[in-house]
Amino acid sequence: MSEPRGRILLVEDTPTQAEVAKALLADLGHEVRHAATGADGLAQAMEWQPDAVLVDLQLPDFSGFDLMRKLRAEGAEAALIVITANGSVNAAVEAMREGAMDFIVKPYGKARLKVTLDNALEKRALKAELVAVKNQLHRGRFFGFVGASPPMQAVYKTIESVAPSRANVFITGESGTGKELAAEAIHKASPRAKGPFVALNCAAIPKDLLESEIFGHVKGAFTGATDNRAGAAKQAEGGTLFLDEIGEMPLEMQVKLLRFLQTGSFQPVGATRPEKADVRIVSATNRDPLAEVEAGRFREDLYYRLYVVPVELPPLRERGEDVLLIARHFLASFGREEGRRFRGFSREAEAAIARYPWPGNVRQLQNAMRNVVVLHDGDVVEATMLPPALLHAARRSAPTPATEPSSPPQLLAVPEPQPAPLPEATPLPAPMAPPAIEPLAVMEKRMILAALDQTGQDVPRAAALLEVNPSTIYRKLAAWRS
Amino acid sequence: MTDPALQCEPYRVTALDPEVASQLAEDLPPEVFRRIIATFEDDLGRLTRELQQAAAAGDITQYMRAAHSLAGAAAAVGARRLEAEARIAMDPGQPEAPSTVLPRLSAESAAALQELHILAGA
Repeated sequence: MSEPRGRILLVEDTPTQAEVAKALLADLGHEVRHAATGADGLAQAMEWQPDAVLVDLQLPDFSGFDLMRKLRAEGAEAALIVITANGSVNAAVEAMREGAMDFIVKPYGKARLKVTLDNALEKRALKAELVAVKNQLHRGRFFGFVGASPPMQAVYKTIESVAPSRANVFITGESGTGKELAAEAIHKASPRAKGPFVALNCAAIPKDLLESEIFGHVKGAFTGATDNRAGAAKQAEGGTLFLDEIGEMPLEMQVKLLRFLQTGSFQPVGATRPEKADVRIVSATNRDPLAEVEAGRFREDLYYRLYVVPVELPPLRERGEDVLLIARHFLASFGREEGRRFRGFSREAEAAIARYPWPGNVRQLQNAMRNVVVLHDGDVVEATMLPPALLHAARRSAPTPATEPSSPPQLLAVPEPQPAPLPEATPLPAPMAPPAIEPLAVMEKRMILAALDQTGQDVPRAAALLEVNPSTIYRKLAAWRS
Repeated sequence: MTDPALQCEPYRVTALDPEVASQLAEDLPPEVFRRIIATFEDDLGRLTRELQQAAAAGDITQYMRAAHSLAGAAAAVGARRLEAEARIAMDPGQPEAPSTVLPRLSAESAAALQELHILAGA
């Protein structure tokens, strides 16, 4: 048995007319339900969600126009078609004004009913399609992403377009903008979604171990290689290999990666024979890849192999309202995890979050929200609960009433969590006491954490500030965790 | 092409509009058409009673409402003469008393039913 063509609700009180209409509708292949009163019609329309409602104008409890108004008020999306014995132009105009998509004059035959319903159902389908397209254009979530801003809509569209192809994708964007999330989205939206997704941070792995991490090694290849080990390329067989911070890859390793991209084969460290792997490469960097090529730190031929389809992730400060969407998302998520009651932010807190430039992007916002949830509880996140850096920034960037009198006062009155404001004439600081001597390891840890804090948990930038290799920080972090 | 057996004979089957009644008989399976006639017959009985009761009670609103329903039911099956009589009954400015109209309505109802049964049996 074939699928019914449409779900049609007939609201008609005269049994003979209802019987004729039901017979014709069923004969046209529609699924039909019947209501003999306006109230029953309204109830059935809301419960059954038909595609079209055929409305008789004279009903025992209220008029067909009243029913149409009630249906619209309830948000019914069905196509409304008036059935009337009055075929005058005035009647037609009134029906259309009341929201009817079409009207049929009684008595009507099968052919007339078919044309009317076909038109109405087609119009309704087009309308639904339009709504779907509009929703897609303004979608607030996409795989793991949260954000509805125009720059993110462009990112979602690029990801959707490139995902089904075999093309290599190069993701750029500041640290914390979601490069790994974008890589995962490409993988999940691709025909390789059932295969593995293997992510490797090239900056986190010591240079001399990178080749083994990507291509694997055989037993005895080097000291400590006690067994054969498959590398990321082999582990990602049939799936996607995400090479993050590819700009950190040493030049000699770039040659080997280029060969793998050209031939699909690689040689594990210490192996005598090449192996093959069917892998899609998605790479990412927070640097300007072309500038890296020009500076001689990145091979031009590899750049052109990888930079087939670029995806540029916008920094959070350019994503407008997304910052609040994401903040609410993290608040809800962490609130659930930590058993907190938070339902939202005060207006002052929202203003502070919206004003802050978020140099560490989404990752920094994530950390800030985690900090708030762990350290506080309540119905609403107040501005005083936010990390001090946000409030300082909000205060610095808040316009004074004299320069911008239209600004709402609550934006200017962001509470300062510090003990007391400095008096206008700040006295000279007291002579500094000599610093307390601490163990070097404690000092080192404090400096690394401070650098990470200052850069919004951006390891490469923190490493640059400390003038060490990012892998040093990753190693330290791993050691502290263990 | 309409089956000639299902055509309303314009001179013999005058109570029905062939464009409506014959088309229904042609478009729908016979058992469905017969079910429609049965429903129409029920409607005729109920609405005629309502008209008579309303006329006896002098309830003009109920009388016109029943006449309106009768006109709609008649139009649905193409009972054109019955529909015309029902529309006279539902006209607030009509000069004829129910005692004159009702017997004509009953006669047209019987004629329409008889011709519909003929059409269904064809």
